[in-house]
Amino acid sequence: MTRHLRGRPAKVALATGVAAALMMGAGPSATLAADQPPITIVINQSPWFDGFRAAVELYEEETGNTVELDVNPFAGSLEKQRAAVRSGESPFDILIINAGFFIEMYEGGFLTPLTEIDADFKLDPSVYTFDDTVYYDPDTKLLDAQNGKLMTVPINPNIPLLYYRADLYEKDGLKVPETLEQLLENAKALNNPPSRYGIVQRGARETFAVTYEFFPYLWGFGGDIFKDAKGGDFSVVINNAESKAALDFWLQLAKEAGHPNTGAQSQADIIQAMLTQKAGHIVVVIAAFAQMDDPNKSAVVDMVDYAQAPAAEGHTPHAPLGHWLGGIPKNISDERKKAALAFFDWFQGYDAQAAYAKAGGPPIREDVLRSDLAKEEPYRWMTALADALPNARITFTVKEASEILAVTELRLNQAATGELSSAAALNAMATEIGEIMTRAGYDAPTLEPLAE
Amino acid sequence: MSQGKAGGLAVRDARRPAARPGAERLPGEGPWRLLTVSPALLIFALFTVLPIVTLVLMAVHHVTWVEGASVWTFVGLDNFRALAGDNLFRAGILNTLIFALTAVGAQMVLGFVLALLVSDIKLGKTLYRTIFLLPILVPGIVIGAIWKLMYNFDFGIINQTLGTIGIPPQNWLGEPMLALASIIVVDIWHWTPFCFLLLLAGLQSLPQDIFEAARVDGATPWQRLWHVTLPLMLPTIAVTFVFRAIIAFKVFDEIFLLTGGGPGTATEVLSFTIYRRFFTEDRVGYGSAMSLVTFLGVALIIIVAMNLSRRRGASL
Repeated sequence: MTRHLRGRPAKVALATGVAAALMMGAGPSATLAADQPPITIVINQSPWFDGFRAAVELYEEETGNTVELDVNPFAGSLEKQRAAVRSGESPFDILIINAGFFIEMYEGGFLTPLTEIDADFKLDPSVYTFDDTVYYDPDTKLLDAQNGKLMTVPINPNIPLLYYRADLYEKDGLKVPETLEQLLENAKALNNPPSRYGIVQRGARETFAVTYEFFPYLWGFGGDIFKDAKGGDFSVVINNAESKAALDFWLQLAKEAGHPNTGAQSQADIIQAMLTQKAGHIVVVIAAFAQMDDPNKSAVVDMVDYAQAPAAEGHTPHAPLGHWLGGIPKNISDERKKAALAFFDWFQGYDAQAAYAKAGGPPIREDVLRSDLAKEEPYRWMTALADALPNARITFTVKEASEILAVTELRLNQAATGELSSAAALNAMATEIGEIMTRAGYDAPTLEPLAE
Repeated sequence: MSQGKAGGLAVRDARRPAARPGAERLPGEGPWRLLTVSPALLIFALFTVLPIVTLVLMAVHHVTWVEGASVWTFVGLDNFRALAGDNLFRAGILNTLIFALTAVGAQMVLGFVLALLVSDIKLGKTLYRTIFLLPILVPGIVIGAIWKLMYNFDFGIINQTLGTIGIPPQNWLGEPMLALASIIVVDIWHWTPFCFLLLLAGLQSLPQDIFEAARVDGATPWQRLWHVTLPLMLPTIAVTFVFRAIIAFKVFDEIFLLTGGGPGTATEVLSFTIYRRFFTEDRVGYGSAMSLVTFLGVALIIIVAMNLSRRRGASL
């Protein structure tokens, strides 16, 4: 109780009150977090934001602390975070960092390892570590749970799941697909353009859009961008046979059962397609679940169900981690760091996570995902998420991720619009990614180009 | 002789440019002038020269971050050399030129025609001007939302309308051949009022006696337009064109909101490429080199356009 509570006599009454609340059932995290200075969190406006905001409001209510949220578009949040950590003193106490970009914060030395703020701080065993992305060893520059330092706390387990029209499945006697081949068949069965497309895929070129969409297919066929990025082997394999099979399949899905304008579909578009009954399937981040059953936004209330996005026959499905991590900047005062850590400590608790889930934010704890809550109709997505998370993988482990993404977003989009063949798109990606990595000092040999 | 001498001096004096009133320098005036101008010079240096100097410095460095501190590595002209091999930069140059010339050209013609049509209207002057000016008053983000909905493949009003006459829906923003044209249409809608406003002001300030004389001489409306209005309007047209061209070369919001540069590189423009390289990819050195080259290129185009316009004006 004394870990985060400043011992001023004037606050004894409050501490007593909190202790009473604890006895009446409030979680210990609330007690630990009490009496902290105000903090500011920089975050992006994602489909799960409403859930996070509700969790923050609960934190304020339970602890009496004040939290200000600085909400931005996806790319805008990253730019603000970069500017903040590179300035004399960050205006933000907590950075909510996306899986695509956290590594540049680690490598740049912008974050304070959490155990340097409080040596006793650790993640609850039920909290997912998301392919160990919360740990970083600055000496080896590897994500390493054994030797690395705890750098961040997971905020959101954002991974894509398969959303499908359960009502149509029941009507047509379809089975939930366990392979990509079955998904293609089901998508074709539900394809009835222009009133409904069998599947709507995210093919637009943005900061991290079509690449994110493609990862489950890429890994689902055994392909990858690098041979073993997590192990430090950056040989470029994006144009190997497996990767080509993946891209060919993804394009086939679009051609035979997809939207005629796949190359222009953003995440918002594909969610909108599902909400308006225009899509039989979408593969999109779990965070969008909250909109599906919202009668003010959705024409598919109680019609959508969720499953792990499948892999090709004989392969293990791997969802790309698009999760969000919370970090504490180095360039703020110790008092602010402690206040930020107090929020994390509260946030990772069971009660906070259950409240977060009920408010529309996917929780970061396995015990919440596997709780009785998952049996209730509004939380039917929890089991699919819990099934998919153990195999979820990190997409990029180098700070050059944003440069690589610029390449993959362009080339995959060109493949989606038919401007480039799959082989040409993959060959172009391989060459350009090889150049980026070589320029950055990595050993990044490339394969022979695919025949076009 | 002395008279002649005096006369000769008088002739030379007449040829000499007349001194400006009050041009004689008073004692201590030089430093005083400098002192009074110095705040403006300082502000100019602080907000214009300094950023450009910083940009030049960054353009010849590779900037990385280690332990929370920036590390600048001198790379000479490497960042500039790399521009030649940058496919997005090349696409950006081409698309920006197509965009600027097409959009501004159409806006000038439409703006001038509209200005001609309404210049003599007296009734409801305030109303029509307000209506014509509305598009420039609408914030960029709203324009993006409006046109994105209108261009939507499945729900957009344009495809819905085409559907009623049997035309299949078009991928306005997703088809490489259509996307840039669709953006240009939005820009024309957005900025034609700007041209209209400036050109209307120019038309209404023209001396009416010349038009009266032309009418008296029996000039047809077409002859009056071609031989009187257009030559007199040339300075206004040139200034409007240059203003609009500068804004068009910097186009960003419409692209950002509607297509993000896609599909492929179909709507990639220079400002957007710079934004990607500089901010999203965090390559400040390379992004600075790209900014400098773009800045110099646009400045060159504007200077050439101004010179051509000046020469054309002088020859009339």
